[in-house]
Amino acid sequence: MFYREAGQFKTSYAADQAIYPIRQDKIGILILFGFSLLAIPFIAPIYWLNSILIPFLIFSLAALGLNILTGYCGQLSLGTGGFMACGAFFSYKLATAMPDTNILIVFLLAGLGTALVGVLFGLPSLRIKGFYLAVATLAAQFFLIWMFNKFSWWTNHSPSGVISAPPRAVFGDIDVTSASASPEAKYVFLLLLVSFLALIAKNMVRSRIGRSWMAIRDMDIAAEIIGIRPMLAKLSAFAVSSFFIGVSGALWAFTYSGSVEALAFEINRSFEVLFMIIIGGLGAIMGSFLGAAFIVLLPIALDTIPLLLGLPLSVETVAHLRLIIFGALIIFFLIVEPHGLARLWQIGKEKLRLWPFPY
Amino acid sequence: MNDISSQIPAEAAGTRQPERRFGEPLLTVENISLSFGGLQALTDISFDILEQEIRAIIGPNGAGKTSMLNVINGFYHPQKGTITYKGNIRRTMRPHMAAAQGIARTFQNVALFKGMSTLDNIMTGRLLKMHNLRAPETGVFGLDQVLRWGAGALDFVTQCLYWGPNEKEETRQRAYCEEIVDFLEIQAIRKTPVGRLPYGLQKRVELARALAMEPELLLLDEPMAGMNVEEKEDMSRFILDVNEEFGTTVALIEHDMGVVMDISDRVVVLDYGRKLADGRPDEVRSDRGVIDAYLGVAH
Amino acid sequence: MNLKHLAIGVVCSLGSIPVVGLLLQQLAEAAPNDIFFGWDFYIEVVVTGLLQGVMYALVALGFVLIFKASAIFNFAQGAMVLFAALAMVGFIEMGLHWTLAFLLAAVVMIIVAILIERVVLRPMVNQEPIILFMATIGIFFVLDGLGQTIWGSNVKALDIGISQTPWFVLQGEFFPGGLRLIPTEVVAAVVGALTVTLLAVLFQYTKVGRALRAVADDHQAALSVGIPLKFIWAIVWSVAGIVGLVAGVMWGTSLGVQFSLSLIALKALPVLILGGFTSIPGAIVGGLIVGVGEQVGEVFIGPLFGGAIQDWFAYMLAMIFLLFRPQGLFGERIIERV
Repeated sequence: MFYREAGQFKTSYAADQAIYPIRQDKIGILILFGFSLLAIPFIAPIYWLNSILIPFLIFSLAALGLNILTGYCGQLSLGTGGFMACGAFFSYKLATAMPDTNILIVFLLAGLGTALVGVLFGLPSLRIKGFYLAVATLAAQFFLIWMFNKFSWWTNHSPSGVISAPPRAVFGDIDVTSASASPEAKYVFLLLLVSFLALIAKNMVRSRIGRSWMAIRDMDIAAEIIGIRPMLAKLSAFAVSSFFIGVSGALWAFTYSGSVEALAFEINRSFEVLFMIIIGGLGAIMGSFLGAAFIVLLPIALDTIPLLLGLPLSVETVAHLRLIIFGALIIFFLIVEPHGLARLWQIGKEKLRLWPFPY
Repeated sequence: MNDISSQIPAEAAGTRQPERRFGEPLLTVENISLSFGGLQALTDISFDILEQEIRAIIGPNGAGKTSMLNVINGFYHPQKGTITYKGNIRRTMRPHMAAAQGIARTFQNVALFKGMSTLDNIMTGRLLKMHNLRAPETGVFGLDQVLRWGAGALDFVTQCLYWGPNEKEETRQRAYCEEIVDFLEIQAIRKTPVGRLPYGLQKRVELARALAMEPELLLLDEPMAGMNVEEKEDMSRFILDVNEEFGTTVALIEHDMGVVMDISDRVVVLDYGRKLADGRPDEVRSDRGVIDAYLGVAH
Repeated sequence: MNLKHLAIGVVCSLGSIPVVGLLLQQLAEAAPNDIFFGWDFYIEVVVTGLLQGVMYALVALGFVLIFKASAIFNFAQGAMVLFAALAMVGFIEMGLHWTLAFLLAAVVMIIVAILIERVVLRPMVNQEPIILFMATIGIFFVLDGLGQTIWGSNVKALDIGISQTPWFVLQGEFFPGGLRLIPTEVVAAVVGALTVTLLAVLFQYTKVGRALRAVADDHQAALSVGIPLKFIWAIVWSVAGIVGLVAGVMWGTSLGVQFSLSLIALKALPVLILGGFTSIPGAIVGGLIVGVGEQVGEVFIGPLFGGAIQDWFAYMLAMIFLLFRPQGLFGERIIERV
């Protein structure tokens, strides 16, 4: 009834190429953003901010990064955890070496450093494809974690191998990093940063560079024959993707956990992010957010439900059951909707467009 | 060579003139041999393609036609022989370099970007023509390269922000693509994901993508395979129109002899990787070797 | 098949052993503080690596079988190894003899295979490979969780009557103390060789084997000549499960049955990219190369980097190798067609 594009005529190609060509979408997203920015920090309980919203935003960013590489450019990667670790440790070294630098610049540099590492480990993609490449990215995963674990230089020789993010402020004196910052400030900072980066990602995928990624993904031979340089397209996808993942790793260390060790970015982290984009939807910016929300909320729901039902289960059993349910849900999801939540969202919108009339 | 003219009956060729003049050779292949391990795919092939002509390559299955196209656009590298394109002998190159020199191509099995819409597919064909920013040419050694990198970086930033030059360029190129959309009569499907389109339309979108490259030489690999009579007529009309209106040189592989005889100016016949005949359609049609190859008379 | 490739691969691999030895000798002279090099010690490390490699190859075999028959990259192979080993330990704990426990565990793996085929694979026919790959990660989680829920998560010893005391053979001038061999590993090598021979016979000479090869070549075509695809898949997953059980027993006896077994299986991945996803001899030779490379790397090069390079050495080895030969050791040269 309310979701109609009838009557909205476009008179220029620019208007037709806008991010949200349908007016209702544009209004909806603005309301959502306004609500998240102006209302949530005041009404959400601390627990929500710390354990749901902040990790959700950070994971969304990581998923966005992996989605660029895997969903848009078609290069399967299992090295996400390693690249997140890069971002975390690079930013730690930078922030402690240059205490007066603005933290945003630190994150930017850490992201760029990670992009460089990503390009390095992306080089095999020029010769190998598919699962062979996936295994090659495992080399990045294991090597990077080993490196951060082995050489105490990365942790400023901390005896426990744990790095503690120093407090840093933005906009003058608002602390946004380390455990001492207020959750509200961290949340708003993350929301703005992640939204901005998501906008950039969206712009990229609807510009020239995004089209060259998708062309490589869909049919690499045809892409090369219409003039796309596979090397440039693949390596730029690795760079941009690693940049996003690196920044998310930095944010993980600086805002979410405050102190972190290399083992926090193990292979399981890579799988977690991969699940997000599969469940959310490959090749959909929206999907990265939906998938991140799903994976962040699922364990919380799994922990809460037995409590609510009053089942007396041991912690260990719950952990194992969680594995089973997690695995089963993923299989279920893949069977029911292999294109992810983003596709469901799309179908929902198409239905809504017609509702309440069937045609 | 300039006086070769086609002998196609006017009614089959639509609006084209029965007498046409062609330009200089656009592409000349000489003594090309290509093998994969022990398998000899092409042996000592020579022919040329003149500017503005429609050149057909025919032959039985496995004759090496597609391999020939692959050699022309740099996908395969022949072991022997030379290719001269626009008067320059070509060195070994990658397909994207061929694309930059104006060679476009469609495929035997449709090779569209399945995850993208029709319009995005065509826009992807414009990639080489899109420049948000251009570096000024100073002529100073070294400085030009630096400027080009700088422009590339700035270009990337404008793409990230979808702002200013990028938006203008996208709109400008969109307008060009819409012209092709109109030309090929695919307005209704411009936002449909190409995976959902029927086969005949997919072939048409693929042609649109190739045209978006503004090619000088258009290679078509079985543009009419699997089509019904009407679709074939449409496609023939499009090919002739492209040739006529844009002056694009066309080299096509086709199995439908009726179509080949009707629309092509000259035909080269391959069999078992060797050249069997070369000439005007009527000459080729009456060639003894060609008839043997097609009807399977013992060699 | 491509016996020529196999022969070349084996000769090159064997030939590289003394070459690498010489290089290491030079390296040891250059950095005498970090590295100790002696030829007898080197040979011992190589032999240990070879035996270790057979164990990797056993895990890799399971991957290859499934990839060959269904083009599925089965990430759950490691979890299947763990699950099988846990099941067998469970039966032994119930007081059964280990041979009986082995058979029962094999039955369990067949049931698991049938269930996977029914519940997961059948509804997902014709999905893209990446989706199927994700589904196997789902299976990985389910099997991991299920195994630990049923049999607990503490480390269990698996004893099938092989002594753990090392043997010393070939005592003489070259090996003053004798060549040190771990019995478990020797048994594993023999069992591995037997398994491979058995599989080769199964693939080459039986009706089911011919059907398997047909399915591996082209699902649709196999289906159209009346090969029961679902049955074949169930068989392949069962065989992979039993190979996993064999691998699990071998790893379990040397390391104990524990959660980390399912992660050790990840080491089979570089083996696969070295050998090629579809080649059984490739899995064996790849396993040997990774086993030896890892041992030699850890013992002789590791000290330069502070050790523990085992975590990634195999992957790097495989990755660098791929840069030069993208099709793996035994793959045919890839000719792309359009």
